[in-house]
Amino acid sequence: MTHEATQITSPPKPSEMLLHLGPQHPLQPGPFLLDLKIEGETIREAELKIGYIHKGMEKVFEDRTYIQILPLTDRICYLASNSNNDVYCRGMEELLGIEPTDRAKYLRVLTNELCRIQSHLLGIGEYTTDVGFLTMFIYMVRERESVVSLLEAITGSRLNHNYARFGGVAQDLPPGYKEMALKSLGKLKELIKSHDDMMSSDSIYLKRTKGVGTLTAKEAGELGVAGPPLRAAGVNYDLRRLEPYLVYDELDFNVITQTDGDVFSRVKVRLLEILESIYIIEQCLDQMPSGPYKQDVTPYITRPEPGEVYSRIEDPRGEMGMYIISDGSDKPYRFRIRGPAFATAQALPPLLIGTYVADVAAIAASMDSCTSEVDR
Amino acid sequence: MEEGGIKLGEIELEIPPNVSFTTTSAIHDFIKDSPMQKLVNWGRKNSLWFMTHPMGCCGIEQICVGVAHYDTDRFGIIPRASPRQADVMMISGYVTKKYLPALKRVWDQMVEPKWILMMGECAISGGPWWESYSTVINMDEIFPVDIYIPGCPPRPEALLEGFIELQKKIVAQKDRTVIPNPADGEV
Amino acid sequence: MGDEQAAIQVIDKTIMIELSDKFPDVVSDVDVPSPNRAIARIDPSKVHEIMQFLLDKGFDHLSCISGVDYPPDKMEVVYHVTSYSGPLVITLKASVPRDDPNIDSLCDIYWNANWYERETYELYGIKFNDCPYLKVLLLVEEMEGEWPLRKDYAGYPNPT
Ligand code: SF4
Repeated sequence: MTHEATQITSPPKPSEMLLHLGPQHPLQPGPFLLDLKIEGETIREAELKIGYIHKGMEKVFEDRTYIQILPLTDRICYLASNSNNDVYCRGMEELLGIEPTDRAKYLRVLTNELCRIQSHLLGIGEYTTDVGFLTMFIYMVRERESVVSLLEAITGSRLNHNYARFGGVAQDLPPGYKEMALKSLGKLKELIKSHDDMMSSDSIYLKRTKGVGTLTAKEAGELGVAGPPLRAAGVNYDLRRLEPYLVYDELDFNVITQTDGDVFSRVKVRLLEILESIYIIEQCLDQMPSGPYKQDVTPYITRPEPGEVYSRIEDPRGEMGMYIISDGSDKPYRFRIRGPAFATAQALPPLLIGTYVADVAAIAASMDSCTSEVDR
Repeated sequence: MEEGGIKLGEIELEIPPNVSFTTTSAIHDFIKDSPMQKLVNWGRKNSLWFMTHPMGCCGIEQICVGVAHYDTDRFGIIPRASPRQADVMMISGYVTKKYLPALKRVWDQMVEPKWILMMGECAISGGPWWESYSTVINMDEIFPVDIYIPGCPPRPEALLEGFIELQKKIVAQKDRTVIPNPADGEV
Repeated sequence: MGDEQAAIQVIDKTIMIELSDKFPDVVSDVDVPSPNRAIARIDPSKVHEIMQFLLDKGFDHLSCISGVDYPPDKMEVVYHVTSYSGPLVITLKASVPRDDPNIDSLCDIYWNANWYERETYELYGIKFNDCPYLKVLLLVEEMEGEWPLRKDYAGYPNPT
């Protein structure tokens, strides 16, 4: 890997041309500009330009009190809003020296996994439109609606759930939730299995995706990616296993890995992770202890001791970290967001070199990076 | 009738023999004042194709509303990927200093008649990021906005309601779409 | 998994000691606040050697580079280094003077340092020597030189 891989170094030669993809493009949610230097159909150099929805979050967060930041963390990556809430709350809990209640831990795992399912479903859906498999997109969004309803029943909103709180969660499960969830997830499991069959038996789809955009384990490590693209290359790296937070050490689950590291395996990892998440949710619903779902006193005006914390989580897209520096006042001194999609997006240009223009959409979408989080 | 040639932007075209150009919009003016306009508006209202152009969190709801479950196809509202094929642009998220020029360009690429919907607080007033150094607010001073859909994010039902309001506005001829008038000299 | 975990833990406990033994005058204020976190302060001039040492010891994943502004006289570059095979995150802080902030680039050790360095550069104005492509990443090009995340930045809140 060379650094030249991230930028276009010279103007195109007479046999080459520059192709701008974006900023408005149907590839992924969120605008970015992908400049490709192509010779014939082959990509010689690629450069990704981001920042089109850079909101200056880190600066805004420095000007908000800790409790005001909580709903804003949803908006870092709206598809992983529960994970973002959770990683922020765990960081703050460490700074404040409190622990979430046992039931709250289970509730957070439950919502995190539901969130992972809906994020993967939308990610796969968008990817399938880009490879021209529109039927699957419609199926995926339909399936996602059922998961969104499950999340909505707990948190009260379809997107940007804002569910975790310092030391607990916002509200308890509604009555009859377990039956509803098990029924809905059981159906989802069947559907995902049949979609998986459909995708891995379609010969055109296989030709389009097998062996395309291959990222080997070594390259993936050098490029610094995490999450499904890394696991698709065969690296068993999952923070739920490596650094078990909440109650993941009490739950039984496998870290899904594939070996090839191509577009097909990246999507396969996501599909299988959905099934694995359903399994985790079922365990959560079974094992969930009764008891309070939040601390008796939620600290609304929070002035943590001066200090710093780096908390991280296995987000649907990889390793999400938040580095919070407190100076003893009610606002953070520095709030750094280390997004997984930033690392994934950075790894995209080297992956495109040498591939065909027609494969760009498949490769870019299979990385599933969320532009809002890349730009922050 | 112009002397010598007609100007299309930068390009000067020779007028071929036996061809005459008109710069008045007789047909347009005639239709505008006749009951025909109602028919035209009926057609327009029932084929509001929108551009899938997700920019922020609201963009996810925009994707969801176009397919399965919420199925805007019932109202003749279909998602399109290209601005050239779309009638409606939704600003669905944060507009930044970096993106504004591109957004204006996308808007210019759409063919008239076209409408614009503001989806979510970010587009309407800046939302949670209104005071940030990189966002642009007051989008209504830049684009001719017809419908504002508040919410952070608005529910898909609210988005559908916004579309229905837009349809009502079109039927009532109260919308702010710019129908080009050749008499203005713009082609 | 159990054996593997144990082996990793052993590496974890010793790495900070090894680090301060290897670079006695450079690494200071070593602190291990929790089993998976370690913090140290380093001399900015030696950051390249330290990172190379950590990479050789198996810390093959650079999580993040961030800047922190402490007006009036110093800024900090904070590195979070971790490994694909263990849970330890090492936080290394290098102080640089605020009037001429510069530090060596890590691009030749960790490939993915490039974007983090560009981001820190455009938001804080910290120069990364030998970074191959140091220009704005997220901001509009005209905003280069405003360093919006510094504490004394005048453009926030946005006056418009
Ligand atoms: S209005 Fe709210 S939900 Fe919509 S883009 Fe803005 S922050 Fe996201």
